[in-house]
Amino acid sequence: MIVIKISFKLNGKWVETDVEPHKRALDFLRDDMEMTSVKEGCSEGECGACTIIVNGRNVHSCLMLAVELDGKDVWTLEGIVESGETYIPEAYADVGAVQCGFCTPGFIVSTKVLLDENPNPNEEDIKKGLEGNICRCTGYAKIIEAVKEAARRKRGDAS
Amino acid sequence: MRFDYVAPVTVEELSKYKKDGGRLFSGGTDLFVKIKAGALKPSLVVDTKKIETPKIECEEELKIYMNTTYTDVLKSECARKFDLLLKILIEVGSPQIRNRGTPVGNIGNASPAGDFLLSTYIHDGTVVVAPSMREIPISEFVKGPGKIDLSDEEFIYAVSLKPLDGYITYYEKVGRRNAMVISIASIAVAIKMQGNVIEDARIAYGSVGPTIVRFKDLEEKLIGERPKRELFESLAKEYSDRVKPISDVRASAEYRKKLVENLLMKAYLSMNL
Repeated sequence: MIVIKISFKLNGKWVETDVEPHKRALDFLRDDMEMTSVKEGCSEGECGACTIIVNGRNVHSCLMLAVELDGKDVWTLEGIVESGETYIPEAYADVGAVQCGFCTPGFIVSTKVLLDENPNPNEEDIKKGLEGNICRCTGYAKIIEAVKEAARRKRGDAS
Repeated sequence: MRFDYVAPVTVEELSKYKKDGGRLFSGGTDLFVKIKAGALKPSLVVDTKKIETPKIECEEELKIYMNTTYTDVLKSECARKFDLLLKILIEVGSPQIRNRGTPVGNIGNASPAGDFLLSTYIHDGTVVVAPSMREIPISEFVKGPGKIDLSDEEFIYAVSLKPLDGYITYYEKVGRRNAMVISIASIAVAIKMQGNVIEDARIAYGSVGPTIVRFKDLEEKLIGERPKRELFESLAKEYSDRVKPISDVRASAEYRKKLVENLLMKAYLSMNL
């Protein structure tokens, strides 16, 4: 079996490993790296459940190959929480923006990218920033409220 | 689905892999969807991202190179005055798609619903084709849905857009959801006034024909005229009569014809000419 050596930063730690050329970043992160916050939803870039952060931008891991992670700075929800940035998941929980929870890691990852770029988003900014993530349980009112709450907590942390 | 992967660093290598049947991708937002759906079964995928090019250049024209993402364009200082282009790009897909997908890839896909493709028509765009670096106007480059004027060893290297300085512009995409919409129909309009008459007019539609539609003879009917409502009403009917949309899962042909008429009137009423 042909494998390709990759070396990349996963949640702040360098990882070196072999990957098969056809393996998706989604499967690699879930099965080989055990980052099970990365969910497989639609597998075609519509739902956002598989969203991860690569070099500061949120992308679909279902439309990316594992080999493409080579040299990149990659973050999943696990790393966001481990590094102490718990204000987003806590805001989602406190506001009640989680029902079945399947979409939540993707939403939190997109929320992190949104707030890193814009610490004070208005409702339109939030809708635009999260437009690539779908929730089929709660509707979006609570999620938008959670992002506003997370933004308040993030700004509070900074001051 | 198993396939091999290469990421060549030179234009010549890339060209050779393509000639040998490799499927090119940059963001993968089209290719991996097609592979997942079983529509493509490549034995080799060719990652173009190791080819070193500038991202974006703006002298007179705005030149967007291969591997430059929608987000790169949206964040670029360079693209600031291309306000119609920015209006179009911010509506592409979703943040995740804009962070990976590329304008050059959108041309390669040559969908009549391609949002960036629409902007290349209204900006009189030119495609730069590697390895020869020949240049060809977009309207000659796109031959039909998914069909482009490329030989086996060629690929799209860059695309240049001419500025629309002093134009009043309008863009609208009609679909069923805000994000991730494949348009039922879309319109881009750019009109330049001189005093109270129209000096130049460009009108492009997406998703109402085999590729983006522009009718130069109909645009010329506006030139030298005062922007009266009756003028646009009769023109909107002519566009509606002339387009040949198809019925598909998103909408019927008749509905699209009606949209063609209504979208031009909506553009007219919104632009305050």
